[in-house]
Amino acid sequence: MNLFFALSPFLTLALGALLLMVAEAAAAGNGRGEKVRPGLALGAALTCFASCAAAAGVWFYGVERIEGLDVLQPWLIIDRFTLFFAGLLALGGGLASLLAGGYLPEHQIERGEFYALLLFSTLGALILAAAGDVLTLFLGLETMSLGVYALTAFRRASPRSAEAALKYFLLGSFAAALLLFGFALLYGATGHTDLAGLGQAVKTIASGALSGQAAGPTTLGAAAGPLVLFGFILVLAGLVFKVSAVPFHMWTPDAYEGAPTPATSFMAVAVKAGAFAVLLRVLLVCFGDKQSTSWANGWPAVIAWIAVLTMTVANLVAGRQESAKRMLAYSSIAHAGYLLVGVVATSRDGTAGTSGILFYLLGYTVATIGAFGGLILAGHRGAEAVSFEDLAGLGRRHPAAALPFALFLLSLAGVPPTAGFFGKWFILKAAMEGGFSVLTVVAFLNSVLGAYYYLKVLVYLYMREPGAGAPIATPMKSGYVNVALAVSAFFVVLIGLDPSRSLSVATRAAASLFGG
Amino acid sequence: MFATYGPMFLLLTVAALIALLFYTGATVLGPKNPTPDKMKPYECGSESSGGNHLKLSVKFYLTAILFVVFDIEAVFIYPWAVHFKTLGWTGLISMFSFLAVVIVALVYCVKKGALEWEK
Repeated sequence: MNLFFALSPFLTLALGALLLMVAEAAAAGNGRGEKVRPGLALGAALTCFASCAAAAGVWFYGVERIEGLDVLQPWLIIDRFTLFFAGLLALGGGLASLLAGGYLPEHQIERGEFYALLLFSTLGALILAAAGDVLTLFLGLETMSLGVYALTAFRRASPRSAEAALKYFLLGSFAAALLLFGFALLYGATGHTDLAGLGQAVKTIASGALSGQAAGPTTLGAAAGPLVLFGFILVLAGLVFKVSAVPFHMWTPDAYEGAPTPATSFMAVAVKAGAFAVLLRVLLVCFGDKQSTSWANGWPAVIAWIAVLTMTVANLVAGRQESAKRMLAYSSIAHAGYLLVGVVATSRDGTAGTSGILFYLLGYTVATIGAFGGLILAGHRGAEAVSFEDLAGLGRRHPAAALPFALFLLSLAGVPPTAGFFGKWFILKAAMEGGFSVLTVVAFLNSVLGAYYYLKVLVYLYMREPGAGAPIATPMKSGYVNVALAVSAFFVVLIGLDPSRSLSVATRAAASLFGG
Repeated sequence: MFATYGPMFLLLTVAALIALLFYTGATVLGPKNPTPDKMKPYECGSESSGGNHLKLSVKFYLTAILFVVFDIEAVFIYPWAVHFKTLGWTGLISMFSFLAVVIVALVYCVKKGALEWEK
């Protein structure tokens, strides 16, 4: 019984997805009827929120008090870190399904498969965040990715959507292959597939390499060091692809632009958060030894360079975009860069860096869902708002639709007192206290640079008028989208006004990663 | 490292040597009588006619993929059946929840009309 309670966030999602699938098939009647079924979006959202509530329930009951979780070792790790991500990912999935409930019928691509795929993807992301073994990690990753590939291709009539999905699928499978090959090399060098065992073996190998002795745990001897290094590089490349950091970001703008907007928001939120969860776990559990976390011989310098490149390239390119949706795609790449600064900070003070990342992800999730939701709300059937021009004058004509959009953009830009400001604050603080002052300054300059293109949207919303003959933005009407925006806005403001409560939750989650 | 993988390298070398030996042996020792017809690619068969891109119905694909999916899932039942007694109640419950998921998938396929050949 304890086991079912601890796994309830996962089981809720799995059962909900299966039920939704059957309900949809039963209602569709041999797949011929293309009627609108508003109940599915509600069902999907409720399933996600139930999973989120289950995660909160286990959190408040105290996951440490639950006995009998050893059965899951080492496949799944249920700790506060996992529960935090379970809640976050389920929240993202739920808000994305609410957006879909408004968007899909409006643009006449309502098919029930969307919701089942979304739920299965969310489940995959949850498994990814909980994975304590390379095998479950890969299963979670593929469950999440396969669903998202299909969601990207969901606008079947649009060649753009098909192109986006094909690009995403090919590059994504390639990255998954790299990741798998990296794990195979690590397994060859250490004889472990569980992350904790891998960490112990890597520690032995690293200390052996430092003292100049061949001290590998397997018969490979001195050859184990280079194998671990190659394995690490491949694993890092695979994971960095999923968080869409430069130089593995090429797929992101195309995939984000081609996908239907609710799917884009899900990709920007859940896929990224799940990938960061696993990146943190792999780096801190497998490569958390002194040698690997040192600036001279370990991963912090590599991650720092990736972070600097990611932030700078994404911010510079984002400023030149004509399409607001594409701009948001680049913005999500830039946010991956800020988060990677936090990852670098974890090499000095693990708890401070990790809690900064978790807090940031919380604010990022609600603000990103909100920003894409604002974009969805600004368009209607046959006239989806995509470019900046499409948004011109919305603020004056429809202030109720433009106001939340503006709030989310300000949060993404990091303007106080929104959630985004404190997210950046905690990450930069952790980096500064870790002694990475140059990196902190670069990140700070980049967030100033980033403010430019968010403010550009505000300029179009409030200070421009559509050109002569250009279509005038008319917002769509949908209760689902309104609810999603209201929930997101509530969280953005709440976290911004009272950051200490969220931070203490994030800190407790981060501490559990270090056995605290 | 060589101590571990040495025999494997030896095997690869021997395999390559044998292949090389047979190939060069056939080239050097074999009788040769080339005629223009023999040197053509595809000397046998008749000239091809019509387009070379044949369109297949997507129904074949759907049936094949469903076959693969359910076939692979059935494979999981074998190890459970072999160790039925040692796995006990845990195994029974796990297998039945797995089968429930498979059945849901089957119901989904039937309801969606994926198994109907003619519509």
